[in-house]
Parts: sequence; C-alpha cells; structure tokens
Amino acid sequence: MEFKGVSRRNFIKTLGITTALAATGTIPPVLYASERRLVTYPEKTELLLLTSSPPQLETPLKYFRELITPNEALFVRWHLSNIPTSVDLDTWRLVIHGNVEKPISLSFDDLKKFEKISYTAVIQCAGNGRSFFEPPLFGGQWLNGAMGNVTWGGVRLKDVLKSAGIKTGSIEVVFKGLDKAALSATPGFLKSLQLDKALEDDIIIAYEMNGQELPMLNGFPVRLVVPGWYATYWVKSLSDIEVTVKSSESFWMKTAYRIPDDPCGCVEPGTAPKKTVPITRMTTRSLLINPEDGSRIKFGQPIELMGVAFSGGYSIKEVLVSVDGGMDWRPARLGIDIGRYSWIQWFYPWQPTKPGTYQVMVRATNSIGESQPLDGLWNPSGYLLNKIERHNLIVT
Amino acid sequence: MKTTILLCIMISLVYTSMIMAGDQGFVRDGTKRSITLPALVVSLKEGAGMDTTSRYCRICHSLDYITTQQKFPKAKWQAVVTKMVKTYGAPISEENAKIIADYISTYYGIGG
Repeated sequence: MEFKGVSRRNFIKTLGITTALAATGTIPPVLYASERRLVTYPEKTELLLLTSSPPQLETPLKYFRELITPNEALFVRWHLSNIPTSVDLDTWRLVIHGNVEKPISLSFDDLKKFEKISYTAVIQCAGNGRSFFEPPLFGGQWLNGAMGNVTWGGVRLKDVLKSAGIKTGSIEVVFKGLDKAALSATPGFLKSLQLDKALEDDIIIAYEMNGQELPMLNGFPVRLVVPGWYATYWVKSLSDIEVTVKSSESFWMKTAYRIPDDPCGCVEPGTAPKKTVPITRMTTRSLLINPEDGSRIKFGQPIELMGVAFSGGYSIKEVLVSVDGGMDWRPARLGIDIGRYSWIQWFYPWQPTKPGTYQVMVRATNSIGESQPLDGLWNPSGYLLNKIERHNLIVT
Repeated sequence: MKTTILLCIMISLVYTSMIMAGDQGFVRDGTKRSITLPALVVSLKEGAGMDTTSRYCRICHSLDYITTQQKFPKAKWQAVVTKMVKTYGAPISEENAKIIADYISTYYGIGG
C-alpha cells in the first residue's frame, strides 16, 4: 500500500507528525497509525488517539525515557463503551462472594485496612505493537505505546479472599469491573484466574499509582494488578470478585485473549491454531527509546542510545546492542534494578565512525534465558509481539 | 466594544488554561470523582452505505474502530460484521450487514 510515495510500513515506523486536538473535534475519515492525533482526555496529558469510544489512547514513546511512567501519560484501553465516568467512594463497594464462608462487601476504607504492598511493575496490553505484525492483523492497531512502568500500591488479593474464607472445591476467581456494554447481548468483561494463581503473594488490588489515586480512565478507585502477566487480567474499576467451583465461561476467557497452545504461542503466518490457551505471561522485550527511529544524528558527536527492557516477571540479565544490522552485538550498560516486575533502562554510548544510515537492533535476555526472536513470531490475534526491532539512525 | 474584546480574551484564556491543565472534564467533589469524555466526531468517507454503517456501528463503538484498521479484503470485513452480530449481539439485519461489509471493504478495504 502506498501513501504519498512512502510505504505504509515505513510510514508507521517513522511516526509522522501528530496534531493536537482540542476537547472537541472532527476526526478525518482515514487515519493511518502514523497519523495518530494527540488528544487530551480527563486527567491525562496529550496521548495518541487510537479510538475515542470506548477510549483507547497510547503513550508517546518520549515518556519511556523515564524509569517511571507518569499517571497522566499511562495508556488507556477499555473494551465496552459504558465506562465508569463517576464513582462516589461513599457508596462504592468491592464485593467478594461465591464459594466463600462469608460474603463480604468492602468500602474503600475497609480495603485500606489490609496490609499495604507496593512495587513497580510493567503494565502492557496483550496487543501492544499489533500494527507491526506481518501479515497485518485485525484489531487495535497499537504502536508500542500500550505499556508503561508504574509503582503500584494496594492490598494482597490473597488477604482479601482469605478474609471471606475460601471454601473447599473452589477452582477459580472471577473479576468484574464497573464497565458495561451498550447492549445487554454483549458479553460483560469478566476475567478469571485459577485459584492457585489468585493466591500468589504479588497479586494486588491496587488503589495507588505512583503514590496517587488512580485516574478514572485507568480504573479508579481500584484495579487488579497481576504483575508479569498481560494487562487483560488487570481488571479496572474492580467491583466484584467471585470465587467459583467451575471454570469460567466468559467470552473474554473462552474465546478472546487466547494464543496458540505451543511453547512459542505462534503458528505459521496466516494459519489457524489447532488448539488455543488463555494468554498469560508477557514475553521478553527491549525497545530503543532515544533517539527515536529515523532520527538524524550529527557526525563526530558521541551519543548515548537508551531504552527499556522487561520480561514477564524475571529480571533482565543482559541487553545486547547492534549498530550494524545484527552482525556485531555488544552489551549495553543496565540501569538500576528495582525489581523483577519493573523494566530496566539500558544505555549504550556510541560514536559512529563515518556518516551513513545505521540499523540499530536491541535484544534482551532474562534470568531464565528467555529472549527475543530475530523474525517475528505470528499468531492470529496479534499478541506477544517481541521481535527484535530494527531502527534506522541517520548520521550526517 | 472594549468590554466585548476583554470578555473574548478572558474566555479564550480560560479555555486555553483548561486545555493546558489536562484536567478538563475532571471533577473532584468530596468522595466523588467524575469525568466528562471529549465529544470527538469521526467522519467516514462519503459513499453508498455510509449512513447505515455509521448508524449501526456507532451503537457500540466510535467509527475510528473502522478508520484506524489496516486494509483487509471483503471476506475479512464480512467476518467482522458477522462477529459483531453473533458474538456481540449487534442488532443488524442480514441485509444491513451486507451493506455495511460492502461499504467498509469498498472504502476502507483492499482497493478502497
């Protein structure tokens, strides 16, 4: 596909100029990923608009130059159009029911009485980077901005569940938020975790992002945080937790958010998997953040390449950088390690020896040896993207 | 006259500061938090079936769910419209489903 003489793929990679859009405005009839508009939603800074309702907004890459992603810059992704736009903590309750000794209904203050846990974790949409799949895939055409690194504060899900008393025979825990579909016929957004997973120490019901209350668009007043796993489980504006004795029939578990049942989570491009399983842990990724793809660099001046690397719950052991299209790889310096769920920054000082176009590639490996494929692995829903990215830097 | 100009300047200043703050549409009132989402309007390319497409698709989502997609063949768009009806319960008759799939694949699909 051609667009003004530039191939779509290159166009996406170049990330064209974006225009600010006021609180109201008309969106033109065609929008390539490269032409995303910057919009301002409540409690948010200017973010790249993917869809307006239900809102899907992504973070411009420049925010990933920092270790922690500010609340106002974190991406937004809702599935159903009636999202909660008003919550009164006076009347809001979190209900825990189902196969429990004693169903409970917790106020915001009740919830805060449980022991507080805090850690930094990457939140990433399962479809982050979907627009980079080849052949192209249907679905939200995310660039790489459906992710962020946030310090979450909240209470252990385990502690809350135990206060209700989990009865024998329980196998799953089902989570529901305040969002609703426009039509009663549309499946509600219900997500579930196996009971043993739900009882892991690190899963929290978060009421703080970076020490502040959650923005409404990120799930005020509380959301589930399942560190290391894709954000599809991190149910926003969480209001209902049900302990069940049978496996969830929710569309969002049984049909959506599934990957091929194969260690790579992949199939031959364009083919259908024989069997699928729910998506869970994040794959290992590393991204070049600065300078951005397509940047021009002045010859003779030393620069420092920087970016981030993370994996699904295992520390990053090594980040390798190639500035010659993958022939020679050298280790980058890693920044401070603030925990296995956080991303780590990497830095690579570089002084090009002559002018020209350099293809920069970055590859991370985690503590259990998981790394990134040279060529993209493909699955029909466009999840798990972690191929080694290729960026061109032009030295003149 | 002077008052009118002054008023205009004041209004535009207030408007600009609201945009800059990034907190327009957010109200904190005691224990209550409320937001007002921006009213963004997505326009579709003029063509046969545009009105039907706009009317039905907007029941559940904004039209940028169409305009931001990559280019797909007609069979793919037919499958998508069928999914909207069968999976998500969109009240679209077979006749209208055909009009919508035809419109989108013509104006946003391969060749469009």
